[in-house]
Amino acid sequence: MSIIKVENLKKEYKIIEKQNGLFGYFKNLIKPQYREITAVNNINFEIKKGELVGYIGENGAGKSTTIKMLTGLLTPTSGKIIVDGIVPNEKRIQNNRNIGAVFGQKTQLWWDLPVIESFRLIKKMFRIPENEYRKNLKNFTDILNLEELLEKQVKNLSLGQKMRCEIAATFLHNPKIVYLDEPTIGLDVFVKENIRKFIKEINKEKETTVILTTHDLKDIEDVCDRIILLDRGQIIYDGSKQSFKDAYGKYTLAELIVSSKPVNCKEFVHSDSFEIIEETENKIKIKFKHLETTIVNIMNEISKYCIIDDIHMKEAELEEILKEIYKGAYKK
Amino acid sequence: MKQVLHNISLYLSFLKISLKEILIYRVDCIVGIFSELVVEGVSLIFIFIVFRNTDNLAGWNFQQILLLYGVTRISLGIVGYCFDGLYDIGPKYMRNGDFDKILLRPVHPLVSIIGASKEFVALTDFFIGIGITIYMLIQLAIPITFLLIFKIVFFSIVGALIIGAINTIFSISSFWTYRSNEVIWSFYRIYTFAQYPIDIYNAFIKIIITVILPFAFVAYYPTMEYLGFNKYMIYLSPVVAIVLWIIAIKLWNLALNKYRSTGT
Repeated sequence: MSIIKVENLKKEYKIIEKQNGLFGYFKNLIKPQYREITAVNNINFEIKKGELVGYIGENGAGKSTTIKMLTGLLTPTSGKIIVDGIVPNEKRIQNNRNIGAVFGQKTQLWWDLPVIESFRLIKKMFRIPENEYRKNLKNFTDILNLEELLEKQVKNLSLGQKMRCEIAATFLHNPKIVYLDEPTIGLDVFVKENIRKFIKEINKEKETTVILTTHDLKDIEDVCDRIILLDRGQIIYDGSKQSFKDAYGKYTLAELIVSSKPVNCKEFVHSDSFEIIEETENKIKIKFKHLETTIVNIMNEISKYCIIDDIHMKEAELEEILKEIYKGAYKK
Repeated sequence: MKQVLHNISLYLSFLKISLKEILIYRVDCIVGIFSELVVEGVSLIFIFIVFRNTDNLAGWNFQQILLLYGVTRISLGIVGYCFDGLYDIGPKYMRNGDFDKILLRPVHPLVSIIGASKEFVALTDFFIGIGITIYMLIQLAIPITFLLIFKIVFFSIVGALIIGAINTIFSISSFWTYRSNEVIWSFYRIYTFAQYPIDIYNAFIKIIITVILPFAFVAYYPTMEYLGFNKYMIYLSPVVAIVLWIIAIKLWNLALNKYRSTGT
């Protein structure tokens, strides 16, 4: 049973064509010239309850537009969206009860007041039952280390502290679905890890569906099971993270630690399915394609010539794969 | 009805948290109160000067005019504080994109916006209004009965709601311009006419302040009742308030839907 269903979704914008020079600005003022752009072009997907979905794409690919339509902030030009049985743009306020959202660095907290005041108001806004609120607050405080932050004014918090509070505020009312638009932007590695851990734990505990857009692919790597890749308003990939890597990831790198190795292994080993790209006295680096061979085959081959002590595998990183895809897409 | 009550209670919570925010800035409060007093003083001096040259305005004497002034101030004080958030929609929420944040809350955006009112110093007006009203009632030898107090309290709130609704209607301009605060403000200025007996104006202005922007129902008709000049018009005020709010919310929602489909 899918919690989010998107069918033939389309969003077109009219934007004013900018003209150069002061004269151009005046011309715009009197008779603006419009140009139509299609931000989201006929996309379809379904998301099941409890899924962790990475919604990725370059700037301007249509990610934020999609999220805005899913949250009911924008009305689609055509197509259908159903989120937990509700059409978000028709019953926006009702939909808001089911969802949580973080948009980049915009804060939903009250700037001049201690964090806890914002939490209390959120409790009232969403009519969170007292025991539920207490339980969540305690749980979130533990995972996100908020203890010392709760009594501090929001404006005095660092970016990382603020985002931790922001995330807590977003999950406070047990939303069924959470949209996170660039939640880790500008944060240091420890805070990022903390936030990822939080998302995973809450997802496990409450089956919260999370849709995450980010430019930090480590977020996706760490958190998401599924990837939807958007390019110029269209979905170009939708599937599991692993099969994404399998389909697009060209190479896997393996590093073998060996002993009693002949001086030059390259001379002896001949294979079309893998390639030795670097070798030293006790180390061999191998590049191979997942579909063409397996590490077992490679080890069999190599062990004919030396003893393998240890092995490190490194899969092609998402980032590398994406770069390849984008390059390809632009060539079209 | 339950939803309305929940909205009102949320509005008060928002107002409370906004008050906490503003009270942090003590100097701002003091400066605000001072400037309110200056504005107040200028208006009063103007009335004094008028009555140095004449002893009545359309049949109203000095004390009666001041009673109207006092009753007006009570409502304006309430509006100035409780509905001030409307001025922020264009220049604040729309300009820096905070409007989306408000749309994601499980309440109507107007509750959030009006609840974020911080012009707590406008209550200076409110208290001066109460002072002048009581003083003039004594001067005019009008007995201050329990019923009269109830009427003044009730119709001052109704009056504030009338202005609040009119300001809400003009706040719709924020969907097209960041300078919506100036639009609201310029129409609100027309209120000045309703601070004096409407018989001193020509038909055009009369129609404006009784029908088009029915400011006359805020304090003018109620004061006429307190003075015994007109016993019935006052009871139209709550009707005017309700009708205006229905129009304001309908139009606001319409504009909001339009805004969401264009996406700016």
